[in-house]
Amino acid sequence: MDAVFSGLASGFATALDPFNLMLVLVGCFAGTLIGALPGIGPINGVAILLPIAYGLGFKPESAIILLAGIYYGAEYGGRISSILLNVPGDAGAVMTTLDGNPMARKGEAGKALSLSAVASFVGGTFAVILMTLFGPLLAAYAVTFSPSDYVALMVFAFASLASLVGSNPVKTLLGAVIGLMLASIGIDANTGVARYTFGIPDILAGIDFLVVVIGLFGMAELIHLVEQQARGTLKTLEIDKSFVTMADLARTKWTILRSSCIGFFIGILPGTGASVASAVAYGTEKRVQNNPKSFGEGDIRGLAAPEAANNAAAGGAMVPMLTLGIPGSGTTAILLGALLLFNVTPGPLMFQQRPEIAWGLIASMYIGNIALLVINLPLVGLFARLLTIPQQYLTPLIAVLAFIGVYSIVSNPHDLYMITLLGLFGWIMRKLGFSLAPVILGFVLGSLFENNLRRALSISAGDWTILLQSWNSIVLYVLTAIVVIVPIWYGRRVAARNARSEDESPKAPA
Amino acid sequence: MADRLFAGALLIVAIAYTYIAFAILKAPFQYDPLGPESWPQILGCVAIPCILYVLWRPDVASFDLEMPTWARVGALFVLLMAYAWVFQPLGFILSTLIFCFLLSLMLGAKPLKAGLFGIVTGVAGYFVCTRLLELNLPAGKLFVGLL
Amino acid sequence: MRLRLFASTLIAATVFAGVAMAQDIERPECIAPAQPGGGFDLTCRIAQKGLEGVIANPIQVTFMPGGIGAVAINLFNTTRTDDPNAIVAFSSGSLLNMATGKYGEWNEDDVRFTATAGTDYGAVIVRADSEYKTLADLMAALKQDVGSVVLGAGGSVGSQDWMKAALLVRAENLDPRQMRYVAFDGGGDAMSGLLGGSIQVYTGDVGEMISQLDAGTVRILAVMSKERLPEPFADIPTTAELGYPDAEWAILRGYYMGKNVSDEAYNAWVDAFKQAYGTEKWQETVKAQGLQVYSVAGEEFNQEILGRVDRMRQIAKEAGLIQE
Repeated sequence: MDAVFSGLASGFATALDPFNLMLVLVGCFAGTLIGALPGIGPINGVAILLPIAYGLGFKPESAIILLAGIYYGAEYGGRISSILLNVPGDAGAVMTTLDGNPMARKGEAGKALSLSAVASFVGGTFAVILMTLFGPLLAAYAVTFSPSDYVALMVFAFASLASLVGSNPVKTLLGAVIGLMLASIGIDANTGVARYTFGIPDILAGIDFLVVVIGLFGMAELIHLVEQQARGTLKTLEIDKSFVTMADLARTKWTILRSSCIGFFIGILPGTGASVASAVAYGTEKRVQNNPKSFGEGDIRGLAAPEAANNAAAGGAMVPMLTLGIPGSGTTAILLGALLLFNVTPGPLMFQQRPEIAWGLIASMYIGNIALLVINLPLVGLFARLLTIPQQYLTPLIAVLAFIGVYSIVSNPHDLYMITLLGLFGWIMRKLGFSLAPVILGFVLGSLFENNLRRALSISAGDWTILLQSWNSIVLYVLTAIVVIVPIWYGRRVAARNARSEDESPKAPA
Repeated sequence: MADRLFAGALLIVAIAYTYIAFAILKAPFQYDPLGPESWPQILGCVAIPCILYVLWRPDVASFDLEMPTWARVGALFVLLMAYAWVFQPLGFILSTLIFCFLLSLMLGAKPLKAGLFGIVTGVAGYFVCTRLLELNLPAGKLFVGLL
Repeated sequence: MRLRLFASTLIAATVFAGVAMAQDIERPECIAPAQPGGGFDLTCRIAQKGLEGVIANPIQVTFMPGGIGAVAINLFNTTRTDDPNAIVAFSSGSLLNMATGKYGEWNEDDVRFTATAGTDYGAVIVRADSEYKTLADLMAALKQDVGSVVLGAGGSVGSQDWMKAALLVRAENLDPRQMRYVAFDGGGDAMSGLLGGSIQVYTGDVGEMISQLDAGTVRILAVMSKERLPEPFADIPTTAELGYPDAEWAILRGYYMGKNVSDEAYNAWVDAFKQAYGTEKWQETVKAQGLQVYSVAGEEFNQEILGRVDRMRQIAKEAGLIQE
């Protein structure tokens, strides 16, 4: 432990150097802006700014600190367009739209933005603290998570997400299956066989997650706005001056803590990232709450959960990268590449060979988290004002932002048609009472489930008992059972009590 | 009716999907017992009953849209497809300028303001994104030499 | 600055000499046909940094994910066939896709291979505490029961990661279809699988092993090359010297251009690369990315690639990946 503290102290000495401190701030600010663009998340933010950081000829630790600031900033920024425009800023911010946007529409944009900033801060800081204290230990555990354990994790995720069932369970199931089907397009990850590609090169590697998200959420929202405008039911919102209160924080403190744990745990596993983390956190939170009815209508707990989780996951993903040299996500793969570019080899020896970089980076994460909170809270009012832009200008802007986001990442007009068509499809589904969240979740979790199941079976040469052979799996299956059974049992008890006191109609758990 | 139309269209897609899963998908050889076809087969077999259920018990009768609203949504769709189509050849500035002008006009802005809005979005958007954020946007064939 | 001055003097000299010159490429662009962070990204970064000073304008890196590179090759065969400014990163994996027909109608004859970035070699990797101390141990186990060893890597059947495992098994005259192979989603996941014990052997790349090697977490049983690599890999035996010359796999990284580019534009890039190859900076850049220096450009390189693709097609046919 002493080594940790002395290392951290030297790290802070590096990170608090005025020049580096300025870089953290600049990185966080630029990252927030880039992340706020729909579609452009941490991966692309870091990739785009990497050559600039390199070209400026900074010392390695300074450049890496700048990039980490951008990484964190983009993760923060993703929530802004989710909340204000109902267009997810990046993959990890999909769940944020579910309760964040209804809050903004109720006139609580300021509260939503500030609360999510605090939740992000807690999630991010929680992850960095755990990483500092137990980094190598956690990484050693994370790699023991085998394909069969991922299968169990996905079963758990599906079970906790069953709480998302809307008014029509069949439509919810159908929505999820549509998401799963969309995910099955492209080259099969095990046998290399192309599925449902019909010789179109653009979908040979599958449909990009981003395209699905921007299409189904962003463009569908756009069509929805125009429809409302044509009916004359759309009003430009007043400037709202709401802000997070101590009471809100008190109400969400356990939510934030639970979600930070879930997010961090899923984040450290190589192969799952912020999108899975926020989905599981949201589903679990809805499951464990006694009164989940307001979820999806602007519940602050439904906003705090995914935000705490996706930032905790972003921090968690750094653990295997720094301690083992294994990138757990696309973004950490780029940070790994950046380190290599500066002749720093991440991995077990980095803490001995280049302590100034390893610890400087960790210290800069503490500072970055604080900086983001400090930058973001005063900006809440400014961002919230976005909504007061008259509708005839705001609507075209959403389209332009979505096009910028997609084009700058894929450099290919094909995906612009894709988002438009998916947008139309999403809008029709919305009109018909389908919820879009199950589609997205089916899309994210489906291929993880299928690929890991088949991986597990190729390891065991077809023996299905491999699925139950590790403690990780067994614990997850037990948790799954709890997540399924407890709300039913609890619902029965509430129903019984209500019947006794002849209260209003019993609420059946979803 | 609306539900049934949509479900009917989905049913055709789902049947085609399932047919391909059973009849066409096959790997030359594989290391797992499931292969590339099992998972789509399962999905198809879940999707079809769900769709049939929706066909049998639809719960949304109509889209509940007036003709003018349909026209607006249709126009928006055409505008978006056109925007995607000219995005690369015309370049970001010009295509955005036209798109923003037309859409804001359709949504009730005054022509002068709509034009101004289009110009600002196109030009400012291009320079903020390409120069400050280093994003990759098409310059357009006309402007290649200039920018 | 001095380098640039040097470069322009050199350019001036070649002009006077009347040879095809490395004239300035107006808007040089390197297309990485993938998401940021992977091997193609790295390949473009090498060009970006290594050609700095040789080409006056900085090279812009564009990401074009989609279809394992199919989108890019499609684009360069439909709209940008004569683009003089752009090079596209490719790897042996792309060549394998061409050989097995994954790119549809486009194959190796539809592009002009321009230059190399560098090369990497396959490696047979086990965990440090593995029961397989040498390649001979592993091969003996495979020979006894080919299904007794769980191999794994970061790509699907038919990818170059799979190819390395298949070549290894084939070197002992065993059927690659009978082996136990697990396809992970990228090298990082496969490495976790190895460290976590899900797989016993990882057929990865040498370049990505530097950090693991120093830390002593893994052991490289053999490098899949003919000759020994320089430090820090000089102590690791090669498959060729251990008696499996067929189990050789070089991961070539380089660049191609559109099929219809003018000779002038093609030569401008080729000359730029040839100039850069001689510099200290190029060599350092390549090594920093974990690659071995391997510098060929121009027509000669194009021919070499065509030969390689033919060989790959042969192997793929034998493994049953191409059906006729």
